[in-house]
Amino acid sequence: MEAKLLSEHYSDDSYIGLEGYKSKGGYAELKTAFKMKPEEIIEVVKQSGLRGRGGAGFPTGVKWGFLPKNGEPRYLLCNADEGEPGTFKDRVMMERAPHQLIEGMIISGFAVGSHKAYIYVRGEYMDSVRILEKAIQEAYAAGYLGKNILGSGFDFDLDVYRGAGAYICGEETGMISSLEGKKGQPKLKPPFPAIQGYLKKPTIVNNVETLAAVKYIIRDGAEGYRKYGTEKSAGTKLFSVSGDVNKPGVYEVPLGYSLMDLINNECGGMREGRKLKAVIPGGSSAPVLTAEETGRATMDYECLAEMGSMLGSGAVIIIDETRCMVDMLKVILHFYHHESCGQCTPCREGTGWLEKIVRSIVDGNGRLQDIDLLNRVAENMKGRTICALSDAAALPTMSFIQKFREEFEFFIREGRSQVKG
Amino acid sequence: MPKCTVNGIEVEVKDGATVIEAFMKTNESIAHYCWHPGLSVAGVCRMCMVEIEGNPRLQIACNTPVQDGMVVYNNSEKVKEAVEWTLKFHLINHPLDCPICDQAGECGLQEYYMSHGSYDSEMAERKVKKHKVVDLGEKVVLDTERCILCSRCVRFTDEVTKTNELGIFNRGDRSEIGTFENRPLNNKYSLNTVDICPVGALTSKDFRFRQRVWFLKSFETICQGCSAGCNVQAYYNENGFYRVKPVPNEEVNGHWMCDEGRDVYKFANKEHRLVSGIKKEDSGLSHMAPGAAAVQLREDLSDTKKAALVLTGQYTTEEYLKFVDSFTKNYGNEVYHWINNPKTFDDFDGILLRGDKNPNTVGLLRVLEGKGIKSSWADLEEKLNSGQIEHLVVAGPENLAVFPDLEEKVTLFGQAQKLTVLTPVKSKFYESADYQIPMKSFMEKDGTFVNHKGIEQKLGRGPIVVSQALTLLDLSMILDGSDFISVNSASMGGSL
Ligand SMILES: Cc1cc2nc3c(=O)[nH]c(=O)nc-3n(C[C@H](O)[C@H](O)[C@H](O)COP(=O)(O)O)c2cc1C
Ligand code: SF4
Ligand code: SF4
Ligand code: SF4
Ligand code: FES
Repeated sequence: MEAKLLSEHYSDDSYIGLEGYKSKGGYAELKTAFKMKPEEIIEVVKQSGLRGRGGAGFPTGVKWGFLPKNGEPRYLLCNADEGEPGTFKDRVMMERAPHQLIEGMIISGFAVGSHKAYIYVRGEYMDSVRILEKAIQEAYAAGYLGKNILGSGFDFDLDVYRGAGAYICGEETGMISSLEGKKGQPKLKPPFPAIQGYLKKPTIVNNVETLAAVKYIIRDGAEGYRKYGTEKSAGTKLFSVSGDVNKPGVYEVPLGYSLMDLINNECGGMREGRKLKAVIPGGSSAPVLTAEETGRATMDYECLAEMGSMLGSGAVIIIDETRCMVDMLKVILHFYHHESCGQCTPCREGTGWLEKIVRSIVDGNGRLQDIDLLNRVAENMKGRTICALSDAAALPTMSFIQKFREEFEFFIREGRSQVKG
Repeated sequence: MPKCTVNGIEVEVKDGATVIEAFMKTNESIAHYCWHPGLSVAGVCRMCMVEIEGNPRLQIACNTPVQDGMVVYNNSEKVKEAVEWTLKFHLINHPLDCPICDQAGECGLQEYYMSHGSYDSEMAERKVKKHKVVDLGEKVVLDTERCILCSRCVRFTDEVTKTNELGIFNRGDRSEIGTFENRPLNNKYSLNTVDICPVGALTSKDFRFRQRVWFLKSFETICQGCSAGCNVQAYYNENGFYRVKPVPNEEVNGHWMCDEGRDVYKFANKEHRLVSGIKKEDSGLSHMAPGAAAVQLREDLSDTKKAALVLTGQYTTEEYLKFVDSFTKNYGNEVYHWINNPKTFDDFDGILLRGDKNPNTVGLLRVLEGKGIKSSWADLEEKLNSGQIEHLVVAGPENLAVFPDLEEKVTLFGQAQKLTVLTPVKSKFYESADYQIPMKSFMEKDGTFVNHKGIEQKLGRGPIVVSQALTLLDLSMILDGSDFISVNSASMGGSL
């Protein structure tokens, strides 16, 4: 069953504006938060078990705890770059409930001691930018942003920054470079952003959904939030479901929800009665699941990790029997090849190499050794670079081959797709 | 000071030092392209992989701080395979045009291919095509296909010269080094990018295609170009000198040298040199061996009542000591210091370049002071203008380009009844002199230059270009009465 925590009012148009938002309890948690000490908020967020919704699933409270405990200026950045293929929930959140994000950010900013925050929005999301900007103006006018918010003595400024359409600017240090006005490419770690980030100051980067969820942790308390989800995957999650189902879309369900239920209940089952073949459960960089694995999968960090995949950004791509896996891998690799920033040699050269090999296969020029070569190239791109984009190209490659090897072999042998003929 | 173990060797490093610095201290080899001790860490080439005990993931040595007790190695199979693969990634799109590449013989790709690679390319597909022979500026040419995108050159222009001409344009495997619009790579240190480029992507227009590096020999010496005293390696073969490159010296020049200094080798080559002694006679110019000209000069000076000496900061301290001594003993205390560019003499560009374009001004001043000689240039001018100097001996410069006042000064000197010019190089302005005596260049002699900071540095001695050219030491012996020169080319370690 859907569990509408964050998305309860998303279908209500009035929720977009300040008045409508307030009439549904908007900004109530901000007042609650101001009565708490910042350390208390961090502690509650830790207790709630909230994990980052942007991809890596890192515990949010723990990340906040890495900040230096001094008065040094620090920044809070909201990652709304949403570039991972298959992911579109942040857009819905920003366009249906901009104040929810703003409120979550003010509370988070208060908790981490930041007085200046930016929302870095994917360049193509013109509507999101427009809606957010309007909401920010409303919030300033109503005294939720700016100096001495609601008499609390806390100052907080918030701005929107529009990206220029590079996927790599969603990687948190790539985003920081981009915000700094540099070429958007990830920075070497250490130092980590919590120690030295935007403008060399301590910086927290969180996903849209992560920051919005903070509001509900304040509302319901750590225990209340933990009512949803599992021990290690607390709360609810918005899934962006796309592909061969009858009702693709954004659905909020408790973590730990059955993947088959998500397909059959929320998404109205497979399209035109076709058979399920595979699912990419966490964005195009997540290793693919077979139909059999899908039958056993629950949508939480631990189950998918155990199956060798990941929850990622919660982008669920449903693949039916009419799809050619070789072709799909080509599309995925084209993306990562195109988006690699090119700093790290294994990623710069490897993403292109992988795409070229799969393209050769699709063009009917594959060699039998190419399957093994794809695996070796991918293996040597993994864990050897500054950011995870290299892994994002390597992991799907390895999982596609492992799980759908016969389709690759057929294509190489016959020079045509096993599925499409 | 943390200690760590590198391939089983215990080593102590400075606080905050990285694992690659620990490797450097032990002389254990570690492959690296992007790391450079004079630049910030980029961590992009991924060649410097190491295994750290207790960490299942390989790490890059250049961005891993040493922790006390760390056990690190790069000789395990796991690391070797990883490095081999990283090299493979470097090479799949590389054009391998070694036969026409200037870097061949000193190329990082060739070197590691021999030590870590030696396999055939497994990529069956086409390589990415990029731009070749891109003109970056007055001195440097770029081949973007050979570039391995280590970003050293970009960091150099960002961090050292802070001129920011270079950038990496485009992304992924379409990335290319380039210059920004209307911003050619013309800073005063641009050729350092060629030195630090680990491959043949950046080449020097001056050196390009002139010589295969394996045909060159080299020795270490001190740059003659200015009072900074940069340490350099000079490269030569039987046809002459071909280039100089900086040698790191933290105290003096760090890792760099300026582009002007790159030219100093040229003045030591034969085509610029004065090769025989010349005496002006009524019948015209008569050529003779340098030593013979010096002996005639001595005789000429012996019945001179009023002789004077002009020195430039272009000779070694040893030469000044001995020569000033003989000159004053034989002909009196008239010794003057020729400052070639008084207006810009004290300039400093904040990096290396000094306005004083002489390698040994401090050495000269120390010697004059030691001998209690105080003389003012105005005095000399007055004496010359009023015809009080009978014979003027001038120890002239090596690099005429940094003596903008040469013609004017030689005209002034010409007011002496007789003029002798001691010079390594020829110049048409000297043709009116009574004696021209060929001197050795800084490449051909021993001795000391004292830089602007007062640091004494020894010259390395290279091959002889002009076999009978003298040093001021030789000349002192002759002025003191010796008729033959004990030091000749044969004892100077070979000639060109
Ligand atoms: C190549 C790459 C792209 C990424 N893109 C996004 C993105 O679009 N949005 C996002 O929230 N996180 C993205 N991430 C993850 C961020 O680096 C970072 O982990 C995240 O924003 C942290 O927020 P969270 O802890 O709230 O999830 C990306 C990571 C990588 C390696
Ligand atoms: S892994 Fe790829 S995308 Fe990430 S920093 Fe390195 S080259 Fe850029
Ligand atoms: S850069 Fe090195 S490997 Fe490449 S062509 Fe030149 S010498 Fe050969
Ligand atoms: S041109 Fe040379 S120094 Fe510059 S990035 Fe390329 S390989 Fe490195
Ligand atoms: S030398 Fe360490 S990554 Fe290049």
